[in-house]
Amino acid sequence: MAQLFLRRRALILGTLSMFAIGLLWQLSVSLGVIDVFFVSTPNLVAQEFLVQFHNGVTLRDLASTLWSFVLALGLATVVGIGLGVFAGWYQDFESALEPFIWFKYSAPTIAFYPLFIAWLGYGTPTIVAIAFLFALTPIYANTLSGIKNVDRDLVRAATSFGATRWDVFTRVALPASVPIVVAGLQLGVGRALTGVVVAELFGAQSGLGFRIAYHAQLLQTTAMMVSIVIVIVLGVILTQMLAFVESKTDAWRVESQTR
Amino acid sequence: MVTFVSSTAQPRPRGVGRLNPAARSTLISFLAVVVFLALWQVAPILGWVNGRFTSQPTLVVQAAIEVFTSDNFLFHARISLSEFALGFGLALIISVPFGALLGTSQIARELISPPLMALYIAPTLILLPIMVIWLGIGMASKVAVVFLGAIFPIVVNTTAGMREADQRLIRAARSFGATRMDVFRHVLIPGALPSVLAGIRLAVGRGVLGVVVGELYVSQAGIGHQLVVYGSAMRVDRLLVYALVVSVFGYALTQVVRLLESRVRDWRSE
Repeated sequence: MAQLFLRRRALILGTLSMFAIGLLWQLSVSLGVIDVFFVSTPNLVAQEFLVQFHNGVTLRDLASTLWSFVLALGLATVVGIGLGVFAGWYQDFESALEPFIWFKYSAPTIAFYPLFIAWLGYGTPTIVAIAFLFALTPIYANTLSGIKNVDRDLVRAATSFGATRWDVFTRVALPASVPIVVAGLQLGVGRALTGVVVAELFGAQSGLGFRIAYHAQLLQTTAMMVSIVIVIVLGVILTQMLAFVESKTDAWRVESQTR
Repeated sequence: MVTFVSSTAQPRPRGVGRLNPAARSTLISFLAVVVFLALWQVAPILGWVNGRFTSQPTLVVQAAIEVFTSDNFLFHARISLSEFALGFGLALIISVPFGALLGTSQIARELISPPLMALYIAPTLILLPIMVIWLGIGMASKVAVVFLGAIFPIVVNTTAGMREADQRLIRAARSFGATRMDVFRHVLIPGALPSVLAGIRLAVGRGVLGVVVGELYVSQAGIGHQLVVYGSAMRVDRLLVYALVVSVFGYALTQVVRLLESRVRDWRSE
């Protein structure tokens, strides 16, 4: 029993603390410390979730947010890896891109929201564009450093055995940079989700971010909390999925080394 | 070290290739920006794009002069800056000791980790609407959003830094009679410093974003408020000026933290 506790301690303590937070939340309202209007209660949130789930609002919002997320992340992955590979292989191209990447990195993308509306129209295209820009930087930066920091000895060995530049690129540089690219994707997932939800706060007809802003205007805290909790859970699930992919690619790399 | 490089591996430099790599890279970056600005300038004139939606570099420069001389720029900048400084300062004061606690106590870590990681991953900006309900549309809600954006990266990185401390150093210190407090002050804190700074660098970006998004969402003054004003009026030139101001601020602050990081690295390797 004690052994079981030790082995599962992290899990048990973690679950315990989640319960404690829920309990504290419920009690602080039940005992009248905080007005229910401000924080709602876990009980009310659960009830509201069932209502929203049954009338289909939750699913529609979730689908809409996920669709924008997938489009944005897909686009950012293709463009980020493409540009990163190109810039990693051709030094001059990297130099040419550098000032723009710098600007993109430090500029508040969301500030250009009105411009995107003017260029792309209201709704999904603007949301996707903002989330795309949010997610692009880490994917590009990681791909770039992955390609650039390829083991020089490996490259020299391959070249001395007669590999062309193209061979080195496809057989050495690309496979070697997979793990760091996946790490960049993991960062990109979080940022793409932030981008989608934040853009939805400002203008959309559906989506979790839109729902939060909508209920905020009506001062319906309980309904807001439902979407907030869903976004937090979504973030955890998506990141865990990428962590799983990352562990797979690591295994693949080790395997190819031993063969 | 002698390396044998075949003549085909490094072709004889011609043209710009004769420059040393750093100068060549700077030159190309510079040229890319010039080409971009030139295209941006002529595209509306040639009718490739609608100038109303893209503005032009010359107009942006003009707008910058207008914004900095009139337009109450300092007033708005001061409001945004105080929101950022308050939220970030508060986050620093709380997160570093909190991260230190989590880094040194396994029980605390296992208790707090799940909610902490969930909030570290989740976009804390979605808490903005509820912060506005709690704290109103004034500065307090922005301070809260900056605080929420900045605190988690610092806590997580401080914790990681403390945990990655060299166990041999700790054991060596203990065996020479160091108390737990000594170990904490002379081994753990210096060891964790680079990681703490990396967390702070991440937090700067999130904090700046927090101010801007907070003010865009609802505000009466501040840089974000001006972005809304000129965005809805389609004054692209002035919008770009304010966006550039935020960019430069975020970049400068990040560079300061980077400088500190490299100082710490040099100091450690001595």
